Amino acid sequence: MIATTELTLWTDVFSTKTGAVYQCDAERCWYVDFAGKVARFDHRNFLKLRKAVYAIDIEEKLLNTTTDPDVEIIFICACDHCYVLSLAQIINLKELLEGTFVMLELNHIIHDRLFSNSL
Amino acid sequence: MKDLLRIKSLISSDIEALLNQQVKKEALSSSIYLAMASWCNRNGYDFSSEYFFKQADEERHHQLKFYKYILDMGGNAVSPEVTGIKQEFNSFREVFEEALDQEISVTNSIKNIYARCMKEQDFITMEFLNWFLKEQREEEYKARRALELFEVIGEEGTGRWQIDKHVGQIKYDSEA
Ligand SMILES: [Fe+2]
Ligand SMILES: [Fe+2]
Repeated sequence: MIATTELTLWTDVFSTKTGAVYQCDAERCWYVDFAGKVARFDHRNFLKLRKAVYAIDIEEKLLNTTTDPDVEIIFICACDHCYVLSLAQIINLKELLEGTFVMLELNHIIHDRLFSNSL
Repeated sequence: MKDLLRIKSLISSDIEALLNQQVKKEALSSSIYLAMASWCNRNGYDFSSEYFFKQADEERHHQLKFYKYILDMGGNAVSPEVTGIKQEFNSFREVFEEALDQEISVTNSIKNIYARCMKEQDFITMEFLNWFLKEQREEEYKARRALELFEVIGEEGTGRWQIDKHVGQIKYDSEA
């Protein structure tokens, strides 16, 4: 499950056809490969990204028949990255993040079990 | 792969969200009691007004307890927005009826957080919540006792004046 790049050790957390998330233990952060760029998120900003994406009402956007473009800007306070995404991309990013957090949760359970068994 | 989420925070994001909801609930309680203190004062029930001022202070204290716990555990405490506070009441008795309703709803939401903690085996937050469970015992007792005064004293004649006087003396001291 460990992918080596030229620079650091990144672990695959989750990937879809449109993107991937890697974890870097040494830097204690995540790298999100999505919409043509690889962006680095620390713990706080990663949770803020999740919150921002989950807060978008996709259904409402689909039903919205006004003429404004279906573009969403995801800007995260105190974070260098900003995403300008189409509706389809938002759905993809949400799918990517949902899968990622399931994997992180799973990782947490494994750590929990390993630790309690070693007692 | 390191468990980075756990390294940063002792509480899960679900528990964090529930605790933030409780922060808001305590802030709401504080504002409700403050409105009750104002109504009682304006209508000549000075002891009850004083009683609600004290309750408002206590709720603010509860709010800060939750707030600081979230931060201490590595979470993100969110300062709540509190709106839609009822300022007028139809009767002296209605004030106390609503005070009890509010306490019952607080007890329920703390039980709900506790249940979630049990599911996650978050014993640390459970231990933190124990103080609140005990506090709710007192809060419900006092609210219920105030309403009882309406029954035993009665509102006729100088009844309300008597009730007001006794509200100021309500105390809960259980050794259990
Ligand atoms: Fe409270
Ligand atoms: Fe209370």
